[in-house]
Amino acid sequence: MIRMRTLEISVGAFVLAGIVGLVFLAFRVSGVGVGETSGNYVLKAKFDDVAGLRVRSKVSLAGVTIGRVAKIGVDSETAEAIVTMEVSGDVDNLSVDTGARIQTEGFLGGRYISLVPGGEDQLLADGDTITNTQGALVLENLIGDVITKLGSK
Amino acid sequence: MLRYLRLLGQWALDWIGALGRASLVWFWSLAGLPRRGDMTLLIKQIYQIGVLSVIIIVLSAFSIGAVLALQGYTQLARVGAQESVGLGVALVLLRELGPVVTGLLFAGRAGSAVTAEIGLMKTTDQLSSMEMMGVDPLHRIVAPRLWAGMICMPLLTLIFNAVAIWGSGLVGVGWLGVDPGGFWGGMQDGVEMWDDIGKGMLKSVVFAMVISWIAVFQGYDSTPTAEGISVATTKTVVYSSVAVLALDFILTLVMYGEFK
Amino acid sequence: MTDNLIEIEGLRFSRGDRIIFDGLDLVVPRGRITALMGPSGTGKTTLLRIIGGQIRPDSGRVIVDGLDVPTLSRTELFELRKNMGMLFQSSALFTDISVFENVAFPLRVHTNLPDEMIRDLVLMKLNAVGLRGARDLMPSQLSGGMSRRVALARTIALDPKFIMYDEPFTGQDPIAMGVLVSLIRGLNESLAMTSLVVSHDIHETASIADQMYIISDGHVIGEGTPKVLRDHPSTMVRQFMLGSPDGPVPFHYPADNFLDDVLGDA
Repeated sequence: MIRMRTLEISVGAFVLAGIVGLVFLAFRVSGVGVGETSGNYVLKAKFDDVAGLRVRSKVSLAGVTIGRVAKIGVDSETAEAIVTMEVSGDVDNLSVDTGARIQTEGFLGGRYISLVPGGEDQLLADGDTITNTQGALVLENLIGDVITKLGSK
Repeated sequence: MLRYLRLLGQWALDWIGALGRASLVWFWSLAGLPRRGDMTLLIKQIYQIGVLSVIIIVLSAFSIGAVLALQGYTQLARVGAQESVGLGVALVLLRELGPVVTGLLFAGRAGSAVTAEIGLMKTTDQLSSMEMMGVDPLHRIVAPRLWAGMICMPLLTLIFNAVAIWGSGLVGVGWLGVDPGGFWGGMQDGVEMWDDIGKGMLKSVVFAMVISWIAVFQGYDSTPTAEGISVATTKTVVYSSVAVLALDFILTLVMYGEFK
Repeated sequence: MTDNLIEIEGLRFSRGDRIIFDGLDLVVPRGRITALMGPSGTGKTTLLRIIGGQIRPDSGRVIVDGLDVPTLSRTELFELRKNMGMLFQSSALFTDISVFENVAFPLRVHTNLPDEMIRDLVLMKLNAVGLRGARDLMPSQLSGGMSRRVALARTIALDPKFIMYDEPFTGQDPIAMGVLVSLIRGLNESLAMTSLVVSHDIHETASIADQMYIISDGHVIGEGTPKVLRDHPSTMVRQFMLGSPDGPVPFHYPADNFLDDVLGDA
C-alpha cells in the first residue's frame, strides 16, 4: 500500500512530464517562437502566384531564415496575392527595392520567400510593401510553356 | 433463415440496450457536485491509470521513434532526401501514430485493469454494499476512473510523442548521421503547432473519452462471476481498439480532409 | 409505532421469464431475530435487496419502519439506509483500504464527526467483534471468519436499528460459526436491534431465531418457531427442516426410466 504522499508526488511528476513533453514538442519540434517576438516588424509583398506557399513558410535573406509568413490574403481588385511577413528586428536595413521571390526548397521541398537585397538608400519600414516581386514558378506551367514553344517551331 | 434474422434482431436490441445503459452510467457518474475526498480518489486513480502506464509508453515510444527513423532514412536516402526524415517522422507521429498507438496501449494496459477492478468489485458485492451504506458507487468508484482516464491519456500521448521524436533524433542524427540542422530545422519548419500537434492532441482527447467510457462500463455491467470479468476485460480491449482505429479514420477525414 | 419493523404484502417480482416471488407475505417483528430459509435459488438474497431498496418489485407493499420502500426518493432512501445494515455473504470489504478504514467508512460518509471521535467509535466496534488488534491489516490478510467479523463491525458502525445477514454461517469452521452465532445474538440483545437472517444452516439458525420463514416457489410455505416447523403438516417443510435427501424436492433430476435408459443402447 503506497503512502499518500508518494502517490501525490508521482502524480505530480507525471503531469509535469506531460507538460515538459508539450513544451518540447512546441519549441523543439514545431519551432514556435523562432526569433524574438519583440522587435519584429511587418512587411508585405504582392505576388501574381503564390502556389505552394503556406503560412509559417520561411522568409530568408541570403539563405538565412530571418522571418516567417504570417498571413496570405488576396487583393481582389488587382487579382494578386498579398503576403504578410514577420521579419526579425535584427534585419533592419532592407532597401525599398528589395526583391521578394518565391522559391522552392530543394527539388521537392516546400516553398519559401527569398529576399534579394537592392541598392537604394531608402530603407523599408514596418508595414511597407515590397514591390519587386516574382511569383512562384509552377512546374506544370513551365513544362506547358516549353511544350508550346517546341510545338510552335 | 428466420432463426438467424431473429438472432440478429435480438443481438441488435441487446446492443442498443447496452448503449443505453452505458450512456446512463456515463451521465450519472459525471453528474453531481464533487465532494470532500473526491480529489484523493482522483489522485489515486491518476496514479494507477497514468503513472503506472508511463513505462510501457516510454519504451514503446522510443522503439517506434527509432524504427521510424531507420525505415524512413533508408527510403528517403534513395532520392537523396534523407534530411527530411526528421520532418516525416514527426508528422507521422504527431498526427497519427502518437494518439493511436498510445490509445491502443492504454486500452490494453489501463483499460483492461479498470474493467477487471470494477468487475471484481461487482462480483464481490463491494458495489452493492456501498450502495446499501448509502454511497453511490457511480460517484465513488466509476467517476474518478473516468476523469482519470480522460486526464491521463492525453498526457501519455504527449510523453509518447516527445520520447518518440527524441528517439528518432538519437537514431537519425546520432547513429545514421543525418545533419542535425537539417533534421531538427526541417522538422521545425514543417511542423505546425495547431495543425499537427494540436489536432493530434484533439484526437487523443477523443480517444481518451471513448476508451475510459468503454472500460468503466464493461466493468460495471459485467456478469458478476470470474468468467464474467474475463469476458468484460476482453471486450474492453477489443471494443476500445476498434473504436480508436475507426475514430482515427473519421477524425483524420474531418480534420485533414482536403482529399479530392 | 407498530410492533413490526417490516411488513411485506403480496410481493411480486420476476426476472425475465422466471417468476421469483408470487404473492409473498411476511412480517419481521421488532427486536427479534427472524430467519428466512429455503432451497437454493428461491431468491432470498433478492428479497433482502428489495427490502434494502436496491431492487424494485413488480407489485406489492414493502413497509420498513413505516415507509413504503419502493416509493422512496433517492434522498429518503439514503436516510433509511443509515439505519439499516447488511452483512453480505462475501463480507464485501473494500479491498483497497485497511480494516480500520473499512469500519470507518460509513461514519465518514454519513457523519461529520472529527477524526478522534471516528477513531474511538471504530475501535469500539472492532472490540465488539473481537478484532480491535487487527485494525491495521488489509482485507486480503484476513481469514474468512475474520473478514465477516470486520464486515459486521462495519455494519454496526452507525448503530443501525436493523441488520440483514445474508448467509452468515456458510463455509465457516465450527469455532468461527460459534463466534458469529454469539455475536448475532449478543448484538441483537445489547443494541436492541432487529435482525433478519437468511441462511441454509438449520442448526445454527434455529438456535438463535425467534421465528422462521421457509420460502419456496415464490411464497412462504411455512412459518413459526423452529419447534413448530419441525412438526409442520407440509412434507416439503419437514424435508427441509430434517434435511432429508428425498421428498417433495426430489433426489433425481427428471429423466427417463432407469432400466430403459441403460438397456436402451444395447
